[in-house]
Amino acid sequence: MEADKKLLKDLTPELEKTSIKWYLTFFLFFVLFVAGIYGLILQIEKGHIVTGMRDNVVWGFYIVNFIFFMGLSYSGALISGVLHLFHTGWRKPVIRMAELITIISLIIGPFFIFFCIGRLDRLYFLFIHPRIQSPITWDVIAICTDLVGCFIYLYLSFVEDFAILRDYADLNVAPWKKKLYRILSLGYTGTDIQKKLLSRARMIMAAMVIAIAIIVYSVLAWIFGVTLQPGWHSTIFGPYFVIAAVFSGTGLLIILMWIFRKIYHLEEYITKRHFVNVGVLLMIIAAFYGYFTFSDYLTKWYGSIKMDSILIDKLFSDYYSLFIFANYIGILLPCIIIAFPRFRSIRNITIAAIIAILALWVNRYIIVIPTLETPFLPIQDTRPDWIKYTPTWIEWALTVAGVSVFAMLFMLVSKIAPIISISEMQEKDKSEILK
Amino acid sequence: MVIMIFIKHHILKALTLLTLIISTSFSSFSQEAKKITPYLTVQYSKDTDNQRVLQTTLTYSMNRMEIPLPGMEVSISVGSQSEKHLAAILTDEKGIARYKLDDNLTLPVNKEGFWDFSTGYSGNDSIESISSELSVKDVDLEMVLSEIDSLKTINLTAFTSENGKKKPVSDETVTIFVPRMFSILPVGDVYLDKNGTANFEFPSDIPGDNEGNLTIIARFDDNPTFGNVEKSTVQKWGLPRDNYTPGSHRALWTKSPPMWMIITLSILLMGVWGHYFFAIISLIRIKIEAKREKQRMNIGYE
Amino acid sequence: MNNSENKAQGKSSRRNFLRKVGIGVGAISVTGLTGAAFKNNSKNGLKSGETVRLLTTDGKLVEVDKSDLRPVKEIVAELKEEARAGLPNRKFGMVIDLSKCKNARKCVEACQEGHMLPRDHEWMKIYLLQDDRQTAPYWFPKPCFHCDKPMCVSVCPVGATYKRADGIVLIDNQRCIGCKFCMTGCPYSARVFNWKDPEIKLPPDHAYDPETNIPAVEGTVGKCVFCADNLRKGLLPRCVTACPMGTIYFGDLLEDTVTNGNETVRFSKLMEERAGYRYREELGTLPSVFYLPPVERMFPVESGLEDVDEKIRDRYKNAGPR
Repeated sequence: MEADKKLLKDLTPELEKTSIKWYLTFFLFFVLFVAGIYGLILQIEKGHIVTGMRDNVVWGFYIVNFIFFMGLSYSGALISGVLHLFHTGWRKPVIRMAELITIISLIIGPFFIFFCIGRLDRLYFLFIHPRIQSPITWDVIAICTDLVGCFIYLYLSFVEDFAILRDYADLNVAPWKKKLYRILSLGYTGTDIQKKLLSRARMIMAAMVIAIAIIVYSVLAWIFGVTLQPGWHSTIFGPYFVIAAVFSGTGLLIILMWIFRKIYHLEEYITKRHFVNVGVLLMIIAAFYGYFTFSDYLTKWYGSIKMDSILIDKLFSDYYSLFIFANYIGILLPCIIIAFPRFRSIRNITIAAIIAILALWVNRYIIVIPTLETPFLPIQDTRPDWIKYTPTWIEWALTVAGVSVFAMLFMLVSKIAPIISISEMQEKDKSEILK
Repeated sequence: MVIMIFIKHHILKALTLLTLIISTSFSSFSQEAKKITPYLTVQYSKDTDNQRVLQTTLTYSMNRMEIPLPGMEVSISVGSQSEKHLAAILTDEKGIARYKLDDNLTLPVNKEGFWDFSTGYSGNDSIESISSELSVKDVDLEMVLSEIDSLKTINLTAFTSENGKKKPVSDETVTIFVPRMFSILPVGDVYLDKNGTANFEFPSDIPGDNEGNLTIIARFDDNPTFGNVEKSTVQKWGLPRDNYTPGSHRALWTKSPPMWMIITLSILLMGVWGHYFFAIISLIRIKIEAKREKQRMNIGYE
Repeated sequence: MNNSENKAQGKSSRRNFLRKVGIGVGAISVTGLTGAAFKNNSKNGLKSGETVRLLTTDGKLVEVDKSDLRPVKEIVAELKEEARAGLPNRKFGMVIDLSKCKNARKCVEACQEGHMLPRDHEWMKIYLLQDDRQTAPYWFPKPCFHCDKPMCVSVCPVGATYKRADGIVLIDNQRCIGCKFCMTGCPYSARVFNWKDPEIKLPPDHAYDPETNIPAVEGTVGKCVFCADNLRKGLLPRCVTACPMGTIYFGDLLEDTVTNGNETVRFSKLMEERAGYRYREELGTLPSVFYLPPVERMFPVESGLEDVDEKIRDRYKNAGPR
């Protein structure tokens, strides 16, 4: 397939050579990853007693990370899927990144569940003895479906690019990479029939990905929502988690846009306009997220139900700073930065995104842990780690390892496929032709 | 001379003091080696088939808890001077020794008509000996069940046999029980009148087994004169029990999930994976189309 | 005793034999059999007539019929099947008389001993509750409630915990994957988790049985099982017999009778006369444990703090209305 020479020149160098900086960064992440694995081995050997989880707070960092990473996968569903269906022009440089975020976070997320499971050797029981009445089974089915769906969707978007790379004679890459492009492009040559097949498949999968993503995250929310615990037994948990996930996905997209723009010198393709557009999306989602959060806590605080009041008291005493950060700063600051044109700069928007992501992680933390620390029957114990959850270094190490794996996978993929979709960039959308 | 007496006096004093010290320490030694005081209880019972049983329990008390003494030999005899030796049995791990008296064994009665049982444990190096007596009069209890005016009634008659004559037992309480899984449930009691009879209205709301059968026991319960004497029978006077199987229906907590869950899940999965299937078919068709295109191009060259 | 009880007795004697004799075949045996255990095979009643002399793991020499020797795995499968079926035609329930409890903790200790629990696992917990500043505090023993609509069973993804026909909720520790969803699902904090290896010394041929839940397995969940193994033998749960105050009553609610070892009363009458209730009825899980309010207490509340270890007394220093 022919492609715009300029596009090729700008977007392929990364596939051809790797800088020392890349290797060093990769090595750094790899070291962090190994530290996490060491912690994991210790945990498998000695049992979960090495974590901070105890009989009351049975779900700690691992579940928080699980929800967080699964939430990040929303960027693919929303940005890529929705914008694709609406033929939005400015989406083109960013959709590849969004789809990659989806797949990679979908792969990492379930691993955190594995860390939380007491008997890893019996994990396959989830598949041979499933009970479909259990929300965890729904989650297993949904995540598997989502993984396959997102993978298909990602691959569909790669086919054209692989065809371009296969035909780009001046491409200076290793022969195995060339062979890879040839196989994966499925002989795509851009004929009308092929184009139609591809675009139809992409349209259908875009719709599916959105639907599946909503289902997956709602199911995850219902793992908490269907229990009787105060703080979890909330009717809006499904939509609330979905909104929060879109929020985190969008934030991560901005961060990655900034990173790759910087590293791969893509200033021409990812412009301020893109930052502002995705930033405005972030702001709108932040507003919705703030609305849901406010609604949830207002209802709990206003009513006099004892267990709700005890939980609110705990949030405003032990978890006060975290609560303020997650639910006030995390919402208001991004909104302010993006709402006023004066503050809108690429750097500021990225900072807003970073705050948003951190705030969302903390929000998951204060959803999961304070509820477990205030059960219906009071915790009457003398052991401090049974009363209050304190994560140990292993849990921190594995969290950092998760982030490292995310970075490493992203770096690896960027060496095999262009981080901006070449085929998308040069394709003129119907809306642009009509202009 | 005086000095000698003086010295002797002091030596004697010292010796007395020494003896006193030694003797008190000795007695404290012997206090440590003092034997345990056991407790021996005896119970007499006669069941519905007139099987008589003597049950002895040998325990001792420590920290306000009763601790059984297993493997100890308890001897049982009867008679005012314990002249008839009946048995010597070992206590089991709960400290209980049960002796079944033979049906045709006639026991000597004293002048009031009582059997004088005496039981004893001879003791050993660490446990003291102990004996216990129990005087029991033989009584016969008869139970007749009938339904009068649709009221379930139990008619009880109790009498003792003295010199071959039946003498009614009056002014005694008989308790009615129904055995349950772990214990027996007292249902009510009656007071025997001067004729030695009583009527008891049996409640009609006691659950029985699946068909409504109940075992009904009438008993002199721990009676100071008669011991434990009971008569039992099986009657269909209970409420029939339904077969309780909570796990057989469809629910969240049973083996079979609710139907709507299965249907919803199937529809969702089929819908989504159907679309995936379609996308994969498209990809395969792209590949086929590419091959066809290549052939077309090759043919075009020829 | 009627027929079904006889049958149950017969079955229980089979199990008793297995547990009481606990014959495991060690490496040394006359016929060289290893990894097998003895189970009285009264199911088909057929005996081969050929006997085998074996040395048990604790040094006893026994003679058993060859047809009765079966591999431990098979026995475990059978025990698990029986454990899932439960005792026929029963529905077990418990009544706890709060006016008698004085935190003697004999129930806790008996339970720990009977199920070989590590000291920091308590399947029966005793709380000091006070609903409000103006109401009086009371001691609250809490086993697993064996709910009729158990949240824990609903959320288990692999079916490791189940409710059986006689009302008892058990855990199969060989199926449990340790996801702890049941622990967050239970609103009564009834379950404990084995965070580390409990290090229980058992004979190597011990057959796992969910009714005793011995041995506890690392990475799995444990909870009160209403001493299902005792119930098969017609014995009361260990906490019931251990309580010096007779606080806990237990029985087959289909028989409408509960007993604490000394007293036997009709359950419906007890509920009516003593105003029995269930803890947090509004949660709708339908517990099988009923409570009798602390009216006319036998002991003042403070007496529960007197005879206990200081570490345990410290637990209650923050007890009070929340």
